Amino acid sequence: MLGLRELQIGFAAAVLDGAGDFDQHVRAAGLSGARRLQIYRNNAVLGLTGALEAVYPVVRRMVGEEFFRYAAAQYIARHPSRSGDLHEFGEHFPAFLQSFVPAAELVYLPDVARLEWAYHQVFHAAGHPPLDLAALARVPAERQGALHFELHPAARLLESAFPILRIWQVNQDDRTGDSLVDLSEGGVKLLIVRRENLDIEFCPLEDGEFDLLRALAGNSDFASACERAIAAQSPFDLPGCFRRHVSQGVLVAFHLPSS
Amino acid sequence: MSTKLAPSRLGPSSIPAQAGIGLRAEHYDAVLETRPPVGWLEVHSENYFGAGGKPLDYLERIRPHYPLSLHGVGLSIGSTDPLDRQHLAKLKELIRRFEPALVSEHLSWGSVGGRYFNDLLPLPYTDEALYHLIARVAQVQDVLGRQILIENPSSYLQYIESAIPEWEFLVELAERTGCGVLLDVNNIYVSASNHGFDAGGYLRAVPRHLVREIHLAGFTVNRFDDGEILIDTHNRPVWPAVWALYRQAVQRFGPIPTLIEWDTDLPELAVLVDEVQRADAILEERHARAA
Repeated sequence: MLGLRELQIGFAAAVLDGAGDFDQHVRAAGLSGARRLQIYRNNAVLGLTGALEAVYPVVRRMVGEEFFRYAAAQYIARHPSRSGDLHEFGEHFPAFLQSFVPAAELVYLPDVARLEWAYHQVFHAAGHPPLDLAALARVPAERQGALHFELHPAARLLESAFPILRIWQVNQDDRTGDSLVDLSEGGVKLLIVRRENLDIEFCPLEDGEFDLLRALAGNSDFASACERAIAAQSPFDLPGCFRRHVSQGVLVAFHLPSS
Repeated sequence: MSTKLAPSRLGPSSIPAQAGIGLRAEHYDAVLETRPPVGWLEVHSENYFGAGGKPLDYLERIRPHYPLSLHGVGLSIGSTDPLDRQHLAKLKELIRRFEPALVSEHLSWGSVGGRYFNDLLPLPYTDEALYHLIARVAQVQDVLGRQILIENPSSYLQYIESAIPEWEFLVELAERTGCGVLLDVNNIYVSASNHGFDAGGYLRAVPRHLVREIHLAGFTVNRFDDGEILIDTHNRPVWPAVWALYRQAVQRFGPIPTLIEWDTDLPELAVLVDEVQRADAILEERHARAA
């Protein structure tokens, strides 16, 4: 007879890892103990696979249901769920796909998965009020270069060598017509951001704009972020770009380190 | 006998002895636009654990129109791992924000060694497990500062270690901790069928004063060459045999808030409203007899 903890550990080993001798703790009446444990294994795998399908519908559509389920089962075994909140499950799926040999030919697949995980994060992220323009205007001109800015909690930057936005768009459920994307279209630099009305937008950015936001998101001060943007793209409308991302609620806060 | 509580700033603060539905994302817009005639709504707490975005926004807009119950599926209250403090903190914040009339969890566990099944797993019904659950429910009620309800699960196996019938385990847990009982009549039917006990006897073993809420849902029959088993799938209407058991439950416990649960292969809202009306009719019969 096992105690509660030993039973739970034994159950997990049997159901998640396929360890063989736990069915002696299960009453066999009609159905065998092994069959009864198998029902719990199916339930767990189905539930976790469903959670992955909810976050990665485009990956699923691209590889097909059977392949997705196979990949999901491998993923679940290698990266078990670590939270009672299923929305946290699936974070490592893009990296898993990167090294998943059966998907190696789909070189763009991990980046499509990164886009879907970013979308999932943006969907559930906190809100934030717009930037306090009056407070920003009070910063003396000679101190502006030292400012640090924050991106909205529901904003993510993503860069890919593949046309992942086009791939995402042609693989939406409501999409009809041509679903071919020419990989030679090249890569994309994206801002994924949730707007005030809670809709999520994908904005392809030019090099300067992307580098400006990425530097600010990486906690660079304003002067060095601007330098990087100008180095990345010439000519670059720095004031226009900055104003746009403040007014559209992408840059939402700032602070001035004490000098 | 209904006591009218003052409505909170958020909306109705007590749950009437009527039928309600589980609110799912697919029905957000239909609920807001058509305000279906259901007595109350229940949501899965974890679906609102995000920091922001549409789920919370919809719940904010729907809450003023219906009494609300929060039903947890991921706390893993029966696990021998330490309670997840962060999970509990998110639940507490959700309670503060939405002021639900009822908060419930399951008589089950869902994780060990930090690995989660995200499923409701069966407990061995032993003295050791009972003491563990008593301590855990007390701890959760302490942190939340309120009573919770504990729901009987559907189960597909029994451990040879189990020495206490589920109904005695559940009643003892409620009597010792002051938690209420969320009686899932479908789960009683499913487990009774799977393990060969008498569903009516289960109902008669639960004292009237403990039951605060009832759940109803549809199950699926899985057939194998060595027998069949009922699986609690929440993907179809309530079965006739479960309606019959529900009628017995209402006769015994009186009119109790009753939830129609439907989680996969969701139908149109109107189908859920039909189920609500069937449950309401049974509750009405009981009201009429009591009058």
